[in-house]
Amino acid sequence: MTLEHPLTARYLGKLSDALSALDPAERHEVVEEIRHHIADATAAGRPLEGVLEALGPVDQLARAYKVELLLNPKDPRERRSWRWLRIVGLIALGSVPTFVICVVLGSIGLSFSLSGIAVFVAGVAAYTGDLPYWVEMDAPPWVALVLGPPLTLLGLLALVGLVAYVRFVARLVRQVLPRPREAAV
Amino acid sequence: MQSGELSEWTSQLRRGVLELCILHLLLGGPSYGYEIVTRLDRLGPLSAGENTIYPLLRRLKAERLLDTTLRDSPAGPPRLYYRLTPDGRARVASLGDEWKAMVRAVAVCMDRGDQS
Repeated sequence: MTLEHPLTARYLGKLSDALSALDPAERHEVVEEIRHHIADATAAGRPLEGVLEALGPVDQLARAYKVELLLNPKDPRERRSWRWLRIVGLIALGSVPTFVICVVLGSIGLSFSLSGIAVFVAGVAAYTGDLPYWVEMDAPPWVALVLGPPLTLLGLLALVGLVAYVRFVARLVRQVLPRPREAAV
Repeated sequence: MQSGELSEWTSQLRRGVLELCILHLLLGGPSYGYEIVTRLDRLGPLSAGENTIYPLLRRLKAERLLDTTLRDSPAGPPRLYYRLTPDGRARVASLGDEWKAMVRAVAVCMDRGDQS
């Protein structure tokens, strides 16, 4: 019986070994298909040696399978569903921290930078005696002059951090979202 | 053109249209690997060899353009039959349109040359 011929068994055994990179179920189906092919071809009267020769060396046949199955893109629907899963994961994991970070950095950035400027200007005004009557300053003017710039600097740093974080999140989202050409498919 | 270059050109051309031809063959109904190989073999220029066609069939299956079923064979073990999925039928239609447009453009080039 052809299926039990040692040449067939050796060829299929080598093919199975050479396809170890494939999913086991896929590999089993491939080997079974080649087994069917050999059975069909020999049943049609072709000599076994000729059938194996036409299939080519095991390494070459295995390489052809790997090129088609491993190098070519997988099922596009699978890739799409995986991508949407990543988007959902990104939203679930990233939305709360992003909200907190944006609120904290935004608040610190705006309030510190603006109040730093205001404190510095008030310090200068107190020194020159131009401080409006409705502004009360409990601390000496030099304290306002010393505190103003660091406060502003801290606020600006927070704003720079906020911009950097928004860029980082945007880059992450761009990586996950489908590109326009793929989305059109 | 040298015969080697011609053979390489034919091989590249065949590689490009083989997917279209296999999908078209399956429009007529499910078929198994050996039958597909021998049908293409009888069509001369489309005879690509089993070591090209079987891996291609697996890729088309991986892309869900084809699916497989095992059917009893009158002689020997059950055979793995390939059949078109709805996605496969849609691909046949789109590839067919592309091919017809390509053939028309090539025909114009061959008949009249580039008139631009």
